[in-house]
Amino acid sequence: MRIRTTALLLTFLGILVVFNFAHTQNAPEASEKGKEVYEDSCAHCHGVEGRGDGSAAENLLPKPRDFTRGLYKIRSTEAGQLPTDQDLFDIITDGMPGSSMPPWDTALSANDRWEVVAYIKTFYDGFKESENPPKQITLAGKIPYAEQSVETGKDLYVELGCVECHGNVGRGDGTSAPTLEDSWGFQTWPANLTQGWNYRGGADTEDIFKRFIGGIAGSPMPAFEGDSFLNFGLTTEESKRLIELENKDEMTEAEEEESGKFYEKMDAAVDIALTIKEGGEVSAADIQTYNDAMKVVYEKSWHLANYVKSLMPAKRPEPAIGNNVLRSQYVQDALPPIDDAAWETFEAKYFPLVGQVVIEPRQFNPTIDGVHVRSFYNDTEVAFLFIWDDRTQTTGDETDETTGKPLEDALAVQFPVKVPQGPTAPKPYFLWGGRLPVYLWHWKASAPEQVTEFTAKGINNAEVQEAQGELKAQGIYTDGQYKLWVKRALKTDDKKDLQLEPGVFVPIAFSAWDGANGDVDTKRVITSWYTFVLEPVPSSKRFIYPPLIALLSVGFLFGLRAFVQRKNSENA
Amino acid sequence: MKSYLLASLTVLLACCFVGSVFAADSDAGEVETLIFPEKKYKPMAVNNGGTISGVVKFEGDVPEMKKLEITKDQKVCGAEEKFDESLVVGEGNALKNTIVYLIDVSEGKDFDKKTKLEIDQKGCRFEPHVQIIPLDTRLTMLNSDRVNHNVHIFSVINTPVNKQQTKNRKKMPLAAVKKAEGPVPMKCDIHGWMSAWVAYVPHPYFAVTNEKGEFTLEDVPAGEYKLGYWHEACGTNNEAPAAVTVEAGGTVTQDFTLKLK
Repeated sequence: MRIRTTALLLTFLGILVVFNFAHTQNAPEASEKGKEVYEDSCAHCHGVEGRGDGSAAENLLPKPRDFTRGLYKIRSTEAGQLPTDQDLFDIITDGMPGSSMPPWDTALSANDRWEVVAYIKTFYDGFKESENPPKQITLAGKIPYAEQSVETGKDLYVELGCVECHGNVGRGDGTSAPTLEDSWGFQTWPANLTQGWNYRGGADTEDIFKRFIGGIAGSPMPAFEGDSFLNFGLTTEESKRLIELENKDEMTEAEEEESGKFYEKMDAAVDIALTIKEGGEVSAADIQTYNDAMKVVYEKSWHLANYVKSLMPAKRPEPAIGNNVLRSQYVQDALPPIDDAAWETFEAKYFPLVGQVVIEPRQFNPTIDGVHVRSFYNDTEVAFLFIWDDRTQTTGDETDETTGKPLEDALAVQFPVKVPQGPTAPKPYFLWGGRLPVYLWHWKASAPEQVTEFTAKGINNAEVQEAQGELKAQGIYTDGQYKLWVKRALKTDDKKDLQLEPGVFVPIAFSAWDGANGDVDTKRVITSWYTFVLEPVPSSKRFIYPPLIALLSVGFLFGLRAFVQRKNSENA
Repeated sequence: MKSYLLASLTVLLACCFVGSVFAADSDAGEVETLIFPEKKYKPMAVNNGGTISGVVKFEGDVPEMKKLEITKDQKVCGAEEKFDESLVVGEGNALKNTIVYLIDVSEGKDFDKKTKLEIDQKGCRFEPHVQIIPLDTRLTMLNSDRVNHNVHIFSVINTPVNKQQTKNRKKMPLAAVKKAEGPVPMKCDIHGWMSAWVAYVPHPYFAVTNEKGEFTLEDVPAGEYKLGYWHEACGTNNEAPAAVTVEAGGTVTQDFTLKLK
C-alpha cells in the first residue's frame, strides 16, 4: 500500500515537473527542418516569407498573421511585449477557434511544432534584438468567480468603454463594431463575448485576463495595462468618489479641490509608471506607489474577467443531432406570443451555421455562429421562435457591388415539400433542393412582420409561391440579437406547402444572411438537414376511456354479482 | 478538436481551389518616411545661426475635401462637419501639414524643452493633424470630448501604442520613445474617421507648415544642408532633396511645389 502511495506521489510530482517544464520551454535554433515544415504546412496561408500573404489568404478573414511585424494577438506577456516561445507553440498546437487557424496537435509532431516556432521567429528581427525574455503577465492574486465580483466587473465594462465595440451585453455589436480595422487595414469584428467557444485564445478567466491586460496586438483591442487604466493610482474608494464627483452637474469649491487632489495623485502615479516603462530611475517609495496602483488595476481586471466569463454559457451548446432533435411542445390553448415567458421554460435547440462554400459566390468568413430554436403547437397551429446573434442590423440600405442586390439580414427555414417516408427515403438536396423540391419560409429584416413562402429546386432556383398562406411573423433586433417568431396552420390547402402532423419526423434546415458581412444570395451561412417533430402528446382520451372501461367493468361485475345473488335467492 | 481541423482544412482546400494570388494591401498603402541622420545628433550652443524659411504650395487641381461620415456619438462628434485632412490646401494653393526638415544635420541646437507636446481630441478630431515629437519626450493626449477615445499609434520600429483614454481622462501622457521613426499614423478605433500622424525625431530641425504653407527652421549652424519634405498625400523628395546653404545670421528661402503622388 505504501509503495503504491509513493509511486502515485512520484508520478504526480513527475507530472508537475513535466508541466512546469513545458511552460518554460524555449524553441530550438531555427533550422532547415523548421523551414521545411513551415513551407509544407503554414506557407499556404502565411506566405513563404511570413507576410500573411499565402495563396489561400485572400478569402480568409481574419487574415492569416503577417509574422514580419512581431505583432501577436494571443500572448501571456504584457502590452508591447513579444510572445514567449511557449505562447507560439500553444497557438500552433491548439489553433485559433473562430478563425481558419486549425489545431496542429495531431497533424504535426511536438518536435515539428517547436521547429516551426523557431522558424517563424526568423521573420521578425525583434526576436533576435531583444535581450531580455518577454515580461509575462502575473496571474497571482486571481479573484475567484462570485456574484459580487461579476457585478463590480460589469460596472467597469461600462466605465472603461468596452461597450463601444463589444456592445451593451457583449455580443460584439457596439456602435464602433462596423468600422474596425486591424493594423494592416483589413476589416475586423470585435469578439462576441457571449460565444466563449470562438475566443481565439481560449475563454478561461485567465485567458480573458491576459487579453485584457496585454491587449490583442495588431487589432483595435487596447491593452488596459497600468497607467492607462481608469483612475490609475487611486484606491477603489477614491476612484468611486471621483466618478461620483464627476457625475455631478456642478461641483462646490470644496469638491473641486477634492477632485483636483485626486488628479494630482493620478498624475504622480502615471509619471512613475511611465518612468519605469521608459527605463528611468525611480525611488523605493515610487516603486511602492506603483505596486499599490498596479494591485488595484489587477484586482479590477480580475473582476472584469469574471464579468466577461459570466456572459457566456458554461459550455458550448450542442448541435441538435441524434436524439437531440427539435421537438415542438404541445399546448392546448393559444400559442405563446414572441415575448411570452413560456419560451424560456425549456432549453432551445442549437443549430450551428457554417459558410456556404459549395456554390459561387461563397462565404468563407461567416459572422453568424448558429440559431437557437424553440417551438410550440396546438391542435391547429405551430409557432417557432428563432434566436440568432448578428453584430449589426442591416435592412437593405446598401447594395452588393457585384449583384446590385440589397444587403440585408435574413433567415430562411427549409422543409421538404413531402416528408420522406422512412429513415432511408431520400431527402431533397440540402442546398435548397434539386430533383426533390423544398418548401421555404423566408424572412427579411426590412419587412420584420412578413414571411414569404417559396418552393425551390436548387439554390438558384427558388420561386415565390403563388398562394401565400397566412403566416404570422414578428422580428425584433436588440443588442446584437435577432428574435423571430413565426406561426402557421398545421394543415393548409396549398399542395406546395408542407403538411404537419404530430409524431412525424420532418427534415428541417436553415440559412441566414448577415448583410453587413456581404451576405447575399448563395453567399450566406447554412446548415444541412436536421430533424423536427411535433412531439406527440399521449392522447387526452387516456383520461376518459380507461376509467370509463374500468367503471363499466366494475358496474358489470356488480350487476353480475347482483344477478347471481338474485338467481341464487330465487333458487333457494 | 478533430472536427475543427477537418472543417478548417475543408475551408483551406476550398480556398486553394478558388486560388488567386493575394496582393497585400499593406504594400500598396506604404507611406514614405522621413530620413534621419545616421550619426547620433549632438546638441550644442548655436551662436549666430541662420534661418531657413519658405512656403509649400500645391500644384494641380485641388480635389474637393471629402466629408467624413460620423457614425457615432453625434452630439459630440457630429456638431461640426468634418473633412478628410490628408490634403488641406489653403488660399493661394498653400499646403498645410507638410513636414520640412534637415536631412543631414549632426549637431546644432537642443530641443526647446518648454514646448508643450500635445494632441487634442476635440469634437472627435485630432489637433494638430501632424505632430513632431522629440525622442525621449512624452506626448500628452488631451481629451476635450467627454467621450471614450482610444489612442492607437501604428509604430513599427518603436512599440505600437493602443490605449483607451476614457471620457474622464482629460490628459494622458504617453511613454517617451527611443528610436527615430515616422511619420506613423495615429487613429482612434472607436471613431474610425479620426486620423493624425506623429513623427519621432532625433533633432529639432523639423517644421510643419501652417495654413499659409509657411515653415521656418531657426538657429541652423552655418553650412550646407539637404532640405527634405514629407506630405501625407504628396509624398517626399527623398530621391532629390533640395540643397541649401545657410550663412551665419542669414536667411535663406526655399519654397516647394508639391503634386499628388
